[in-house]
Amino acid sequence: MFFKRKKDEVDNSMNQKNLVDKELIPVDKADFIQKMKDCLHDSADLNIKELQNGFTLIFLDTLTDKKMLNQDVLSRLEDAKASPNEALKHITVSSTSKHKYVEDVIDSILHGAVVVHSPGHPVIISAIVGTQENRSLTRPENESQVLGPQIAFNESLATNISLIRRFLTNPNLCNESFTLGKQTKSAVSLLYLKGIADDDMIERMRERIKSIDVDGILDSSILVQLIEDNSFAIFPQLLLTERPDRACAWILNGKMVVLVDGSVQVIGAPQTFIEFFQSMEDESVRWQIATFLRVLRVFSMIVSIFFTAIYVAALTFHYEIIPQTLLIPLGESRSRVPFPPIIEALLLETMIELLREAGARLPTKVGQTMGIVGGIVVGTAAVEAGFTSNILIIIIAVSALASFTTPNYMMGNVIRVLRFPLIILAGFWGFYGLMVGFCFLLIHLLRQSSLGTPFMAPFYPPRFEDWRDSIIRLPIGWTNSRPLQTRPLDRVKYRYQKNKK
Amino acid sequence: MKVHIEPKPQNMVNTFLLIFVIHSMQVGVGIQGFQRIIYLEARHDAWISVILGGVATAIIGFIMVKTLSVYENSDLYGIQYDVLGKWLGNMINVLFVLYFLGGFHVIVRNYIEVIQAWVFPEVPTWLLSLTLVYLVYYGLNGGLRTVVGVSFFSVVLSLWLVMLLAYPIQFANWDYLFPIFEAKITEILRGAKQMTFTVIGFEIIYVIYPFLKEKDRVHRHMQYGLAFTTILYLAIMVVSLAYFSGGQLERTIWGTLSLFKIVRFPFIERFEYVAITFWVLLILPNLMLYMWAATRGISRIFNKKEQKISWILLTFIFLTLLYPLTRVQINMFNDYFAKGALYIVFVYPLLLFGAVLIKKKFSRKKDEANAQTNE
Repeated sequence: MFFKRKKDEVDNSMNQKNLVDKELIPVDKADFIQKMKDCLHDSADLNIKELQNGFTLIFLDTLTDKKMLNQDVLSRLEDAKASPNEALKHITVSSTSKHKYVEDVIDSILHGAVVVHSPGHPVIISAIVGTQENRSLTRPENESQVLGPQIAFNESLATNISLIRRFLTNPNLCNESFTLGKQTKSAVSLLYLKGIADDDMIERMRERIKSIDVDGILDSSILVQLIEDNSFAIFPQLLLTERPDRACAWILNGKMVVLVDGSVQVIGAPQTFIEFFQSMEDESVRWQIATFLRVLRVFSMIVSIFFTAIYVAALTFHYEIIPQTLLIPLGESRSRVPFPPIIEALLLETMIELLREAGARLPTKVGQTMGIVGGIVVGTAAVEAGFTSNILIIIIAVSALASFTTPNYMMGNVIRVLRFPLIILAGFWGFYGLMVGFCFLLIHLLRQSSLGTPFMAPFYPPRFEDWRDSIIRLPIGWTNSRPLQTRPLDRVKYRYQKNKK
Repeated sequence: MKVHIEPKPQNMVNTFLLIFVIHSMQVGVGIQGFQRIIYLEARHDAWISVILGGVATAIIGFIMVKTLSVYENSDLYGIQYDVLGKWLGNMINVLFVLYFLGGFHVIVRNYIEVIQAWVFPEVPTWLLSLTLVYLVYYGLNGGLRTVVGVSFFSVVLSLWLVMLLAYPIQFANWDYLFPIFEAKITEILRGAKQMTFTVIGFEIIYVIYPFLKEKDRVHRHMQYGLAFTTILYLAIMVVSLAYFSGGQLERTIWGTLSLFKIVRFPFIERFEYVAITFWVLLILPNLMLYMWAATRGISRIFNKKEQKISWILLTFIFLTLLYPLTRVQINMFNDYFAKGALYIVFVYPLLLFGAVLIKKKFSRKKDEANAQTNE
């Protein structure tokens, strides 16, 4: 019953399409021009050019490259006989196609094509002469690093795919294309390595992308919320990157990469929690240093989330745990503060967040000044006015700093925001509230999955082999297997053998 | 009720994780103060009682796994239904559900008592139990894998607490342990009996067994988990016996927590505040798995969806926790629960094993007889 109804709906919509949308192209010239004008609502940049020999050329001024249009289409068609086949023969543009329906014609005009109508023929030739409004390739700004390639994706889907293809010259690199968004019709590409990426996982991703029904996709960071497992979760479950080398490293590990036209970041799936604390540079530096940095990042995440809350809990309820030598300076610095620790902490945390937000929204130069004014002037003044204690300023500054060590911007945001509920819990119920918050976060993390795979892997479920490249990184010969997380069809990345000579 | 269970593959867990499940189930509130009750029986030979208690868990653990492995893939509820019939079987199933709920209740009660005695004398019981019940509810909603994950992290993240027990060793007086075997055998045995409340929890194998992936490795990992717990208890007991004098031990209700009291670092003192609040993470797997086991039981008996039942059971248990109990009453409740647990965990499995063996023999004879008549 249920299935039947669904099928009926599909049939109906298809019929409608045939009747209404899939309209055949008018043979008559005047009718055709009128039709095009109607469909594009007589747009101001719609250019209709009628040639002497009967051809009618229609294109959007704003989308086409004038030079190419003149050289490869206009001048070539002037001597031709007015028929579609003749037009095809004369146009010297690499991507041309034939269309039968009005809908397709409109679509190609909107993609920067010039369409050629020949009187008496129900077929339209379209030739892509669109401009590629392209930013030149720049250095990655959000994921900048000293070592490794200094190139970032830009807004063009074609350029981004070409960047990946340049790293991965491999015929097995598959590229599946989707069109998403009822209004925007954005192009979305799914890239993976055939023979390494798990087929079930690819199918799952495909289904998720296909089932999305929205009016527009403007950026990959929006798409990622539509395809991730749990959009209620605090933590992001899929990673975004602007580095082609990182995207390629993911593909080589058996992951999938999703690119969206018009966005500089690509989505990688599936991911694990620990990968939010890894950076591509870890692969380039010595393994001891990489391990140190990763441990430092995880440690700073913990510090950033819990440090202020521990201060609040200890000073509100558990004075006993502070050793006497530490208690004296603490008491001295807090003696002039009129607020309880929770208010004091929330006040300062909010101030830091204000500074950060103001700095992020302002132009770079003003932002720096803001930082100095906010950080030094307001900070010092707040202590001198007796609003806050010196020690709390240190603690909050350290935890703010620590939150910026997270290589991923989204995770950094989450960490900063998490501090607030924990401070409140600590202010109300001391260490007990803090532990309840911690347990909640632990359960929350354990409940998440990334594209159906456990988010806390390789720690839980424990996969000891994958620990070699998780919070630690072992020397290159040891990390030659793909993570189990992606269920790769081929587990071994390479066989490591050093040349003895 | 179906005797055999076929869990969905996404609910199955690695057998390796059984170590953590068993260990985290055994370690709970009992460990906070088991020294005193055993010392009262076995004096300074209490550590022998701990070993005996550990040996007893190993034997019972063996019996439990043997009982379960007679069946293809079944749990306690299915086995009792199969062996004891519909009415008697389901009655004992309900008894076990009540036992699991009782375990939940006892743990929350004891933990709240500790919190109120040591950290927050004035935070109301309802608030503390509400937070715990909510955490359990949130974890149970994530399915068995989340629950097992909590017990895994509970063990891994609290290992550092064990290391702190090395701190009192510098003040230890090892002469307190001698002479060995001063206590009579009966006293040592009585001490071992007092271990019941501290070592129980491993009966969860009865319910979790069908959800383990590699059945042939279950017994080995079960024994690893039990041994891990026994070694931990033995270490704590030996340290306590050497650190406290006899008179002190008789008066110290929460021996383990008192050990933390003297831990001191340059930046932190009075470690018991941290330890006691950290204990939430240690009792959380206990609560979750007990509640999960009770939920499984009800859903098996009445053939209902688990999620709804966990809701109802948690509300029910929360309401029971609202009933005010005094320290003496909680102690009495503990004693009754421990007595019941002694029979349920240490005696009943032997009977069930016997019944299962008889049933198996009987049905095999029947099968053979059938086969012969068919020939």
